[in-house]
Amino acid sequence: MSASPASVRPERRRPMGPGGRRRWLPWALLAPGLLLLLLLYVLPLGALIPLSLSEQLDRFSLRTVFTGRIQTYGEVIALYGPVLGRSLRFAAASTGLGLLIAYPLAWTIAFRGGRWKAALLGLVVLPFFTSYLVRAIAWTTLLADRGPVLALLHGLGLIAPLQHLGVLVDGRLLNTPAAVIGGLTYNSLPFLVLPLVVAMERIDPLLLDAAADLYASPLRRFLRVEWPLSQPGLVSGVLLSLIPAAGDVVNPRFLGGPNERMIAGAIENLLLVQRQAPQASALTLLLMLLISVTAALLLRGRKLQELPLP
Amino acid sequence: MRQPPPSRPPLASTRRTFLRRSILAATAAVAGPSLLAACGRRAPDSGATGERRLVISNYPIYIDPSEDGVPGSVERFSKQTGIAVTYREDLNDAQTFFAKVQPDLAAGRPIAQDLVVVPYWLAERLIRLGWVEALPLEQVPNARNLMPSLRNPSWDPQQRHSLPWQSGIAGIAYNLEVTGRELKGVDDLFASDLRGKVGFLTEMRDTLGLLMLADGQDISRPTWDTAQASFDRMQKARESGQIRAFTGNDYQDDLLAGNFAACIAWSGDVAQLVLEQPKLRFLVPETGGVLWADVMVMPRGARNRQAVAEWLNWVYDPENAARIAASVQYISPVQGVQEILAADPATKALATNPQMFPDAAMQQRLRVFGPLSSEEEARFDERFARISQA
Repeated sequence: MSASPASVRPERRRPMGPGGRRRWLPWALLAPGLLLLLLLYVLPLGALIPLSLSEQLDRFSLRTVFTGRIQTYGEVIALYGPVLGRSLRFAAASTGLGLLIAYPLAWTIAFRGGRWKAALLGLVVLPFFTSYLVRAIAWTTLLADRGPVLALLHGLGLIAPLQHLGVLVDGRLLNTPAAVIGGLTYNSLPFLVLPLVVAMERIDPLLLDAAADLYASPLRRFLRVEWPLSQPGLVSGVLLSLIPAAGDVVNPRFLGGPNERMIAGAIENLLLVQRQAPQASALTLLLMLLISVTAALLLRGRKLQELPLP
Repeated sequence: MRQPPPSRPPLASTRRTFLRRSILAATAAVAGPSLLAACGRRAPDSGATGERRLVISNYPIYIDPSEDGVPGSVERFSKQTGIAVTYREDLNDAQTFFAKVQPDLAAGRPIAQDLVVVPYWLAERLIRLGWVEALPLEQVPNARNLMPSLRNPSWDPQQRHSLPWQSGIAGIAYNLEVTGRELKGVDDLFASDLRGKVGFLTEMRDTLGLLMLADGQDISRPTWDTAQASFDRMQKARESGQIRAFTGNDYQDDLLAGNFAACIAWSGDVAQLVLEQPKLRFLVPETGGVLWADVMVMPRGARNRQAVAEWLNWVYDPENAARIAASVQYISPVQGVQEILAADPATKALATNPQMFPDAAMQQRLRVFGPLSSEEEARFDERFARISQA
């Protein structure tokens, strides 16, 4: 969701200094986006704060009374703390796994892609032309007990070792932690690859030449030049992958079982089934807080223009 | 918003149907109440002079569709009565539906629908809240065709606010190819050889009810205390990895694919699925099966009472009810359907199907999960959610 403001072309190009006549211009360009954020994010989130401190009059009316009941937070932490922890663990695991796949992929596309670069990037994004929901349901077919993936593992004699590693549970792949993490990884891959490619493309080839001139081995060149200079892409990729994964609804629902539930499903159930709006609000705010803290830690000390956000 | 009903052969279901069903369910689950908020409210009819209308909400694939040039029930009703019917298949999940209509009904505003098909327990809640009106049964002579066993149910003792649409049985479905043995009852769901291959339903009354019956409890008067043993059993099974998933309607896909060796299931579905996978079996445990009903209710402020009366009378005509029953294969609440199906060679087999027409022995085994007070229901929902969701 990004609003693209109409481009405003100044008639004469003049550097804008402090006290310049067009100091309002950047604000005008930012306004649609800021307004959207305010209306669709900040205000609703703000409205949740009093709701989370209220009590419901009865289960089937929407009326609540503000009582400043702070205990609700303690209750949801006690009840849903484990689910919240699991959500963050799954999100971290899928992001880590995604990076292991995305880094070499991005490196290859950026430095060895040549004229195929655009096509390779297209391939990375291609799965996203089908709906997110349909993809999750398609995975249930692929990972099914009698599906192609398990048949392949069986043929390769990998069932016992994978069972030993805990990837398979009771000889199955579907409805396991591995399937949920795999689904989350699959979804976050493009969000990791694209910023990394952008960051690597920004690396000045002269620096690589200089490193080679100074007798750096390819590995050393990677560790001293490519890796540090691609960090901004790493940070934005992690942000774009971690946050949606932590709040994902679809993957745990279709690829997990009752022991793989994540926090978004719990919030939905609290609101729609158990009809506990204050508890659902408290849990939502806690999740937002955790995510904001994580994002703040990741972005600490970085200038925004460094971040190659796609 | 409204989609044309899917075409499908009357006695067979297709993979497409299931996929569509699970995608619909998933969409509803993900989008929640906002999904259907786009269906705006109609302006009220311009009195008796204007065109006569009727708006109905029902679950998907729960009525015979128009196909191959043969008009389905909705179309035939419209032709015969001149009432323009808006038939929406927008109910996927009763809880979500309730969340969606709650703001309007709580505030005393009418909703778009004149008639909604909901599970009996939700009907009971709506009746208790006063959010549904008494049905115009004085104008529905065919209501006398209602099966005696379904009359004056606990959720509507006066039989004034609801009329059954279809009923069915929650029992156990299993896939012989996966189990490798015949199953007998609820204890099999907890057997170690089926570990990680057992499905439970997110519909609490069906899942809990079946377990409580196996514990020898009276589910017609459920209490917090009598339910504990069954809840504990469920929780242990979940923690040990015995239960693979808690699902809604999408259990069918897992059953067909062989992911579930056994699961708690609904009779009408299995009656259709067996055509696709002959190794499927459905059993009503000796300890008892849970009989449920989906009922038609009229939300408060419904504008087209006369059209509602005509619809109820029409679907309670045995001839019309038989067509619907032959298509959906649940228990028809209308007397006379069995004879009509038996008389037609094309539907003769259905008339002797015990899951559509429970015989006396079967009836003895069936129990309805009784009403819960609002406080009790909240406690039950919370415990069930902690087992199935957290």
